[in-house]
Formats: sequence, C-alpha cells, structure tokens
Amino acid sequence: MPTAVPTGAVVLGRAIRGQRPRVIAASLLGMTHQGCEALVPVVIGVIIDSAVATGSSASLLRWLVVLAALFLVLSTCYRTSARITEGAGEQAAHRLRLELATRVLDPRGGAETNRLPGALTSIATNDARRVGSVATAISYGVSAVAALVISAVALLRISVPLGLLVLLGIPPLLWLGHRISRPLERRSETEQERAAHASGVAADLVAGLRVLKGMGAESAAVARYRTTSQDSLAAALRAARSRAGHEGAVLALTGVFIAVIGLVGAYLAMDGSISVGELVAAVGLAQFLLGPFQLLTYVNAEIAQGRASARRIAEVLASPVTVEGGDAVPADAAAGHLALRGVSLGALRGVDLDLPAGGLTGIVTRDPAAAADLLLCLAREKDPAEGTVELDGVPLTGLDPDALRRAVLVAHHDADLFESTLLDNVRSGADGDTTAVESALAASAADDVARLLPDGVDTLLAERGRSLSGGQRQRVALARALAADRSVLVLHDPTTAVDTVTESRIAHRLREVRRGRTTVLVTTSPALLAVTDRVVVLEDGAVRADGHHNELLAADETYRAAVLA
Amino acid sequence: MTTDEDARTTTPEETEQTMSGTTQDRALLPTATGAECVAALRTMLHGHRLLAVGALTVLVAGTAVGLLTAPLLGRIVDLVVEQRGAQALTVPLVLLIAVAVARGAATAIGGTLVARLGETVLAALREQFIERALRLPLERVEAAGSGDLVSRVTSDVTMIAKSVRQALPEFSRSALTILLTFAGLAVLDWRFLLAALLAAPVQVFSVRWYMRRSSPVYGEHRIATGALQHQLLDSVGGARTVRAFRLGGTHSGLLEERSAAARDLGLRGIHLVSGFFSRLNLAEFIGLAAMLATGFVLVDGGSATIGTATAAALYFHSLFNPINATLYLLDDAQSAGASFARLVGVSALPAEPAPQGADTPVDGSITVSGLSHAYGTGAPVLHEIDLTVRSGERVALVGASGAGKTTLAKVIAGVHEPTSGSIALGGVPVGKLGPAGVRRAVTLISQEVHVFAGPLAEDLRLARPEADDEELRAALAKVGALEWAEALPEGLATVVGEGGHRLTVTQAQHLALARLVLADPPVAILDEATADAGSAGARVLEDAAARALEGRTALVVAHRLPQAATADRVVVLDGGRVVENGTHETLTAAGGHYAELWTAWSATRRHPAEKIPNPATTTESPVSPAA
Repeated sequence: MPTAVPTGAVVLGRAIRGQRPRVIAASLLGMTHQGCEALVPVVIGVIIDSAVATGSSASLLRWLVVLAALFLVLSTCYRTSARITEGAGEQAAHRLRLELATRVLDPRGGAETNRLPGALTSIATNDARRVGSVATAISYGVSAVAALVISAVALLRISVPLGLLVLLGIPPLLWLGHRISRPLERRSETEQERAAHASGVAADLVAGLRVLKGMGAESAAVARYRTTSQDSLAAALRAARSRAGHEGAVLALTGVFIAVIGLVGAYLAMDGSISVGELVAAVGLAQFLLGPFQLLTYVNAEIAQGRASARRIAEVLASPVTVEGGDAVPADAAAGHLALRGVSLGALRGVDLDLPAGGLTGIVTRDPAAAADLLLCLAREKDPAEGTVELDGVPLTGLDPDALRRAVLVAHHDADLFESTLLDNVRSGADGDTTAVESALAASAADDVARLLPDGVDTLLAERGRSLSGGQRQRVALARALAADRSVLVLHDPTTAVDTVTESRIAHRLREVRRGRTTVLVTTSPALLAVTDRVVVLEDGAVRADGHHNELLAADETYRAAVLA
Repeated sequence: MTTDEDARTTTPEETEQTMSGTTQDRALLPTATGAECVAALRTMLHGHRLLAVGALTVLVAGTAVGLLTAPLLGRIVDLVVEQRGAQALTVPLVLLIAVAVARGAATAIGGTLVARLGETVLAALREQFIERALRLPLERVEAAGSGDLVSRVTSDVTMIAKSVRQALPEFSRSALTILLTFAGLAVLDWRFLLAALLAAPVQVFSVRWYMRRSSPVYGEHRIATGALQHQLLDSVGGARTVRAFRLGGTHSGLLEERSAAARDLGLRGIHLVSGFFSRLNLAEFIGLAAMLATGFVLVDGGSATIGTATAAALYFHSLFNPINATLYLLDDAQSAGASFARLVGVSALPAEPAPQGADTPVDGSITVSGLSHAYGTGAPVLHEIDLTVRSGERVALVGASGAGKTTLAKVIAGVHEPTSGSIALGGVPVGKLGPAGVRRAVTLISQEVHVFAGPLAEDLRLARPEADDEELRAALAKVGALEWAEALPEGLATVVGEGGHRLTVTQAQHLALARLVLADPPVAILDEATADAGSAGARVLEDAAARALEGRTALVVAHRLPQAATADRVVVLDGGRVVENGTHETLTAAGGHYAELWTAWSATRRHPAEKIPNPATTTESPVSPAA
C-alpha cells in the first residue's frame, strides 16, 4: 500500500510512469511509422510527376525502390511499436489488478464495504484495462502529432496557401463533426445500454431456470423476455439511426472538404505555382491527414475514459480501513481467554462476558443483529464503539489483525467455500498439520459428504461450493474451521442445514476435537448447546442469563422458547 | 495502415465479460451444422426480403457514387495538364460536392437499413433461443451443465450482437467498396484491375496465416479472462473468509497467476494482429507499385492519360483501409458464425411433448405406483415407490441424506422423467397432462433460491402475470413478508436481484413462498426450502410455509423434524424405498426408523425439569411449546 492516499491522477500517473521505457520506445517507432505513412502519397505524387509524366523508366525504378524502402520501414516500425505499446497497456493493467487485489484482501478490510463483488471485479478488470489503455494511447497520440507535423511540412513545402488551407481547415471540420456527433453519441450510448439490457435479462432468467420450472412460469418468463427484447430492439434501432446519420454527415463534410482542396490545388496548378504531382500529393495528404486527427480524437477519448477509471480505482485503494492495525502479536500458543468489557456496537449494549481459556461456551440470542455484531467484534472486522475485547488480557485493538487471526478464528454462518477440491478447502486454513485435517473431516461428518462425491475428498467444488447441498456445504466449512486448529474458535450456526442425527454426532465430536482450547458456539441449536460447559443468553444487546444448558432449560421460560421452538 | 485498425488493436479483449467455460466431459447442448445454420438464416431473413434488397441497393448506390471521387479528381488533373482554364473546373467541383452529399446520405440511409435488418433478425434469434432454452427439460440442461446454457445466452448472443452492430455495417460497406472499386479500375482500363489483383495472393496468404492462429489464441484468451474474472469474484466475494483463514497470500498468488495468463494471451493476440497487418503492408506495396508501373506503361503507350493513371493510383491507395478492415473482420465473422451455430443448435432441439389428452386434474391428489428412477446410467436412486397422497393432505418426506427424498420430489414435480412406474395427479396420468400441465398443477420450491433481477413486483408476477398490486400485497401478507417488502427503499417497486437491492436468504425464500401463493397450484412440493436460513430464519419460514400450504396438497421434504411432526402423515425413505408410512403418532409408537430419529431429536431438546410432551397424548403441538 502506498503511503499517500492515492487520487485518480496519482493512479494514472503511476501507471504511465511504470511503463516509461516502453512508452518512449513505442512513441519513437510510432512517429517513424506515421511519418512514413504520410510520405506514401508524396511519393505517389513524385512518381506521377517524374516518371509517369516524363516517361523516364529509370526514374520509375528509382522511386519504386524508394517506395519499397518506405513500406519496409513503416511496416517494421508499426509492428514493433504496436507490440511494445500494447504490452505497456497490458502490463500496467496487470499491475493495477494486483494492487487492487492486495488492497481488497488486506487484513484490515474496508475496501469491499458498500461495494458488490461484481462491481469490484469490474473495477479490477475493465477499469484497470482502461487505465492501461492510456499508457497505450499515449504513444499513438505522439505518433499522430508526428504525422501531423510531417504532413504539414510536406504540404507547406508544396504550397504555403494550400498547406495552410488544409491545416486550418481540418480542425474546424473535426470540430463540426464532433458537434454533430456529440448529442448523437450521448443518445446512442444510453440506447446501447438499453439494448444490452436484453442479454442481462436473458442470463438472469436462465440462472433462475430451476425456480421458473418449479412454478411453471416459463410462459410468463418468455413473454417478459419478448417485451424486453422488443424494447431493446427499438433502442438499438434508434442508436443505429443516430450512428448512421453521424457517419453520413461526417462523410459528406469530408468529401466537400477534399473537393475544396482539389479546386484550390487545381487553380494553383493552373497558374503554375505547383506541379500536377504536387496537386496529387496535396489531395492525398489531405485525405491522409484526417487519419491522425481522428487518432488524436480517439486518444483524447481514451484518456478521458482512463481518468474516470483511475478515479474509481483510486477510490478503492483509498477506502478507509475498518480496523486500525496494532503492532503486538499474540503468543504462538495463546491461552485463549477472551473477555468483553462493556462492549457496545450496533445491537450490542454494554456486553460484559468472559470466555474462559479452554472452555466450550454457547451464546444464545434471538436477535440476529446482535449475533452478527458480536461476531464482528470477535473477528476484529469492526472495533467496538465502546468498551474493549481482550485476548489473554491484551486489548484486540493493540494487536495486528492478521496476527490476531492466527490465534482467533471466527467462522461465519455463511462462510464461503472456494473453487478447489474439498480437501484443499478444508486444509486451506491448517498449517500443514495432516492429523488435524483428518480429525476435522471426521468430527464435522464432512467425510460422509466426501464419500458421496465422485472423487471423494479430491472432488473439485464449484464456486462458493454451489455444487454441494446446503448441509454438505456447512459440514465442509465446519471441517475447515476445525482443521485450522486455532487457540480460539468461534462458530456461528454451523449446522442449521444438517439433519438431527448427524448434528448431534457432530456436537459430541466437536467437543472432543476442541478439548483444551477455547470454543464459542453462537447458536440456538439444542443439540450443540447440550455439549457446552456453559450458555450465555444475550437479550436486548446485553447478557441476561448465564448457566448450564439444562439449568436454563429448566428455569428459564424465554430460553426454552428460544432454543426449543 | 489506418487509424481505425490502430484503435481496434487496443481492445482485443472486448469480450471479457464471457463466462469461464468449465465444462468437462459433459453432454453439451448441440451445435448446428453449417447447412442447418444456412437454413435457419434463410428462414429468418425470409420475412425481410424487401428490407434486405433495399439495404443492398442503397449501399451499392452510395458506394458507386463515392467511387466517382477519384475519376473526378483525375479529371481535374487532366484539366490542369491540358491548361483548360479555371471555368472548366466548375463542373467537376459541383459534381464532387454532389458526390460527397449523395454518399453521405446513402451511408446514413443504408446504415439504418442494414441495422434494421440485422437487429430485427438478431432480436428474433434471441427470442426464439430463449423461448426454447426456457422450455428445455431441466434434465437436459443439467446434463450439459448450466454453464453451457448461460454462456450461450451471454457470450454467444453478445458476440453476434457485436458483429451485427459493429462488424456488419463496416464489413458490408468495405466489401462493396472493394468490389465496386475493382469494377471502376476495370472501367478505367482492365490492365489496372490485373495490377490490383497482383496483391491478392499475399492477402490470401496473410488471412490464412492469421485465421489459423487467431481463433485458438482468442479462444484461450477468452477462457483466461473468464478464469481471471472468476477468481476475482471468488476471492473478492469471499474476502471475509480469506481474511479469517489468513488466505490472502494464497489468493493473491492465484490472482497473479490468472492475471498474468490473461495478460500473456492478450499479448499473443496483439502479436498476431500486428503480424497480420504487417503482412498486409506487403500486399499494399505490391499492388501500389504494380498500379504505378501499369500507369507508367499505359501513359507511355498513349492508352491512358496522366489523369487516368492518377485516378487508378488514388483508387488503390484509398482501398488500403477497406481491404484491411474486410480481411480483419473475417475473423469476427467466423466467431459470429460459431456463436450462431450454438444458438441455432439449441433452438432446433425438440420441444416438450404435447399433452396426450385434454384432461385436467380433478383434485390435488397424487398417486405414485411402482416408481423407480436412476440418473443416466447410474445406480437406481428410487426403487418401486408406491405412494398415495389424498387431496389436501400434508405429507412429510423424512430420511437421511441420499435416501432419495429430493429425487422423489423432483420426479413428482415433473422435473425428471421417471425411469419406470407411473404418476397421476388429480386422477390424470402425467403423460396426459404433459409437462406444462404438470407444472400448472404442481409448484416445486427447492433449496435453490433465485431472486429475478428487476422490480420486486415483477418477480412475483412471474407466478401470476395478471396479478394486480393488491393481490401481490395479499400474497406477501399471507406469508408474513409484506412488512419488510414495504420497508424496502421503493416498496414493491424496488429493483432486487442481480445488480439491485440484495435480499437476505430468508427474504428470498419468503418471496418463493409468496410466488407459491400467487401461482395457487393444487399441489405444492417443498424441498428443504427452509434449511439454509439459519436457525432463527428457519422458524420464521416454517410459519410462512405453513400458511402458504393452506388448502393445498403438500409434500414437504423435512430436514427439521418439527416439519414432520406437524404433517398429516410421515413417509420415511431409506435407500430409495419407502420403509415407513403413517402418522407421526403411529410411527413414534411403532419404534422403527422414524421413532429412532424422533428420539434422537427430542433428546437434544429434553430438559430435566419437564418431560417432553408426547404428541400422541397432548393436543398442544410438540414442536412449539412457546408459540
């Protein structure tokens, strides 16, 4: 992470500076390429003048050799410069992607707050690419300027008035084209967005195919898609009309401009101030010059897009962390005594709670928000607004968040599985201890899951573990949490989708596997609570009752309601 | 070389939004053959013949008029050479301006017509595709992997749309320009045409060189960018888990690997494109040199004027861009063709069988007899199941994982065709009802929740398109979801689902139940619909489900035993067979499999001070003492 808070300009500047050698090399080659392209019509004019008009075959041969050399140089320069400059863009985008990934995965968090994964992914792919394109576009821009200068010199050498006419005529021509096109382009963009809507709806319907089939809503879905598709069609047609109108207008303007150049050139040729070949070259150059000018317009648009993208990237990079880091590192074998002192955050109002080292404690709350906030505090995904959470007497705020997670693991109810094998998922949090993995698989009954899969524990799971049923997913996630073998393990509703028999088996084995280390179960499942040493009941954001599961069942009507419903 | 192509090479990965194709060893959906594609295209164009002819005529006219520019400029050169005086220039000048305006107008009209043709056909194609895709038997889709269908819907439709919008207009214009320019050259002097064709062998060679290499590289690049995007979604979406398990290093490593792979393949694509255009430069030189040499010879021999030679050279010089564009777009055309074949392949699949009779179910009863089912060639999952559910009865399916509960639910709901045995709904065999009739009679709510993107009300209306807002509210109120639905930022008009307001799992399942109320089928099948909502959410949903099931025949796949205890009857499955069948009371008393499960479940809930109430002896429901 850079020390300064990055802005869009900083991100863009850094991306370009990082590719400086490539950009410079590509610009030099690109300039040569464009220069040669500009010289092609000039050479055509010279051949008409000195060979075709005079009948000198020696001159024809000589100038054809020059033309060949010109093509050889322009082709080589184009190829090399394109490869270098596009390489610069790809490399710059690659670096930005990595920088973004590092920021998002930072232990202190914060980058994904209020951002959907899809939006972040789009920033890391599309926006990174657009910023990279700026590094690419710069050398194109430099080449275009070079082409302009060379053509200008060539034109002015042929005839100063004609050269001035072309050079001064093209900018207003482009401006006029731009003026015509801008409102059209803007309209066309929104129309195109609407046109793209149809494919979005289609993908969504197919993604929900099972649900559609389940309620027999295919006809309704097809009817809806038809409406969307027809709307999109109408939008696409409006966009196409705008685009075609714009193209036609630009073409007409350009044609009129070339006609004027031809006329003025012809007058000059008639009064002998330029030769016929020069007239040909001038018309050719006027046609050619439109290219570099269009290229500059394109570069300009790329830079504008790149700036907007760089701003979005900078916003992610600069997003504030949710927890400030500390420096202290908990002992390798933390005893694992967690204590909450007057903790308030969201739904929590002054929670005082001791989770003794080596104990198995259940926490029951009927308020999902309170459970969520408690887990946020324990995982240090957020720091309490008031009060402190301590691990073995050290406030969590003084600890390095990543080092803290080496001692404390909070396994959320909806923890994600990743796209790798079942075994790799389970052992991803373990520090190479295979016995822990084995016993974790057995304790969570994830070995039963593996037995039903085609390749056992080596079966590749789909993204988010979607290839598994809810109960299977939970058991694999639980196995992973147990295999990580942390000093403190906090589990939130780990078995809601697991059948009762398996659940109570898991509860007993869980107790065995975690023996001697601190374990917290945030749940209302009686099977799990039955194996705890002690249960704490949270109500209205504070501790209301505390005791053994059986005592609470016997004595506490509300507890019974919460747990046995 | 042109600015157009330069710009193009900067974005070779425009199709970055494609899905990663992770389909191995699957029975992929079919792809149409070339002949089928041509036939399909012909059918689609059939109704638009007039439009097609109109578009072609305007484009040809526009291009032909545009080609007059070079001879007019040549004419000016001749006038200068002949020293005809300034007045003589008036006519060519006026003509030049007229040509420019006419060409602009033709481009505008022709472009509009081509787009109308292309977009209309495209819309018909995608509608036809979606219509068939949504009606495919679920079994067929699952055999291919849902990724196959999704990627056809997204990347193939996008690929064709892109070609229709960007490539088609440019391709048709450029190709016409080339053809008519060649004709123009032939009019000037047939030897000019011969000279121009000298470039063709190099062009053919370059195109073959490029196409042979580009398709695999672009294909790999699409897969690599898909994999990168996939990894980003996996890591970013699971960032919380990544941090909790300290997997940042592993995931950064994976991302770096995927990103580098995408970058390297992108560079290989650029290498190819630049090599391609570089080869075409050679063709440009050969053609131009031949043109100038021919002009030299013809002028020398007196069969052409300097003006004609100039016009020929300018013609050829102005062909550089169209030729490059046409040849480059051949690649797009090839990809679009492949996508088209994949869409037509699905559209040509047989439709669902039509019902064999006009019978409609008389009530909500279910009769299953001798039903067996196996997935594909695998071992049978269900064996000889006989089951009768009375109209309005609520039956719970109980059993361990893998006992066949879900399969039985899906077979009855018509998702899978049973391997053998028969099913009748409301006294009518399902064969006579047809798939559509079965789905009208039965609604299946599975554990998979999907919130359809768009306003919440539209999501609900999928179940009953003609429902008004009041009916929607009533359905939501019935399942207890109205309160949160109205509390959404824009109430029922709030855009939910992908890209909209994110609903919780409980809310999404609430919606599924509300859709059930709206669809109002005589039979409802609930498969683990409440399983994944967390323990607090599960209870809310169980209440909602009970209300949604009122007045219907219900088959509930029960994971939580209370669902079974409150049902009229419990059916226990084990190893694909019905092993027990009776009321909760009789089964708990019988001391079999179910009794064992019930004991295990009750044990976790028993507390020392109070004996668990025996449902056989109390009127109070055993599962909700606090309700």
